[in-house]
Amino acid sequence: MNIKTAFSDKTDIQEAVEEIQTQLGDFETKLLIFFASSSVTPDKIADRMEAAFPSAETFGCSTSGEIVTGRMLTNSIVAMAFNRQAIKDSKVEVLEDLNRESHRAFNAFERHFDKPMSKMDPKQYVGIILIDGLSGKEEQIMDRIGDFTNVNFIGGSAGDDLKFNSTHVYANGKSYTNAAVLAILEPSTAFTFVKTQSFCPLQQKLLVTKANESNREILEFNNKPAAQAYAEALGTSVADAPNHFMHNPVGVVYEGEPFVRSPQQIKDNSIIFYCGVKEGIELTLLESTDIIASTKEALDSVKSELGGISGIINFNCILRTLELREKGLTDSYGALFSDVPTIGFSTYGEQFIGHINQTATMIVFR
Amino acid sequence: MAGKIKQMIDAFVNQRAQGNTVLEGVVKIKLILKGIDPKMFTPESADDPAIIAKLEELMREFK
Repeated sequence: MNIKTAFSDKTDIQEAVEEIQTQLGDFETKLLIFFASSSVTPDKIADRMEAAFPSAETFGCSTSGEIVTGRMLTNSIVAMAFNRQAIKDSKVEVLEDLNRESHRAFNAFERHFDKPMSKMDPKQYVGIILIDGLSGKEEQIMDRIGDFTNVNFIGGSAGDDLKFNSTHVYANGKSYTNAAVLAILEPSTAFTFVKTQSFCPLQQKLLVTKANESNREILEFNNKPAAQAYAEALGTSVADAPNHFMHNPVGVVYEGEPFVRSPQQIKDNSIIFYCGVKEGIELTLLESTDIIASTKEALDSVKSELGGISGIINFNCILRTLELREKGLTDSYGALFSDVPTIGFSTYGEQFIGHINQTATMIVFR
Repeated sequence: MAGKIKQMIDAFVNQRAQGNTVLEGVVKIKLILKGIDPKMFTPESADDPAIIAKLEELMREFK
């Protein structure tokens, strides 16, 4: 076993970290990724995890709920350890100020891997991004990463258990806000991705004709006030439209595959979203399906594609988690991951190719 | 003039994907998320200078 998971729900940080150390035993950890409830003091957890695993690179973030092999948890810390047989090489960098464009991280990756980002083979390398979930900068950062490389970056926006006060990312002993951790891994085995959103596209199209992109606000769809056009597409009133947000978000659909943009609230006649949408983009109305069934189908498909799975990191939208909690399905969801070392967390946004909502993005290692 | 944007999109997708069909899809999705939907542009589409400038910048950056 070259990938191993551990978790602790102890409230004392030192005891929690020691429990994780104990569970990992004499495993020779080269890289450790961890997700910690916002109940854990950010500076302490970053520092203690680095101190506990001095020969490993460590990175992670705060959450709104955690996932570990077979279980969905709250108020816990989950960790995934990789040894040298699992990961040939890795480099962890931090974008420390998301308001300022910087190439420092990309330059560091190029120096470390001794090749331009544009020449890195997406079948050989995978990127992981963990980003402040309250920064509102996710689409901008993903957009710029995508400009420089074909390496796929997958990840999630850090959470804080729905307090919406402060979210944190961690790297090599330090805690950061308004920041993103970027890691490029060179796994020893094949890997692939899961993007499952449990929505199907409907016929109704909504062309973004006026938007305030920096505020994630759509002012007009189809040259009509956005709230009115969205309500008309659903066949309901503007007053009733917010009741449909959870089950009828919209999405950019490419060859049948939706990239979900979730409405958050109606403000005057416009709609605020959980991620940015550009003018000129055609969106499709979506309808929710069964999260458990669609996730199982996605996992079965990758199992068959890879011929076996040694580890999964799951970035699962908090809105999906809330739906699972509301329906009493968290145990069923956790059970989908019972036979594979898995960690994950409930996110404030998911990243894969771009920034998306109401989705689970996963990296899956053979 | 017309059709330059479609030509540039095709060239950009080729530059990035090098014939890899999976990558072609990824590059097209990235363009859509930037507000440039490849399927909206044909050989008859007007040459919008703002979109042309954006595509030139993208091609320059990916070296």
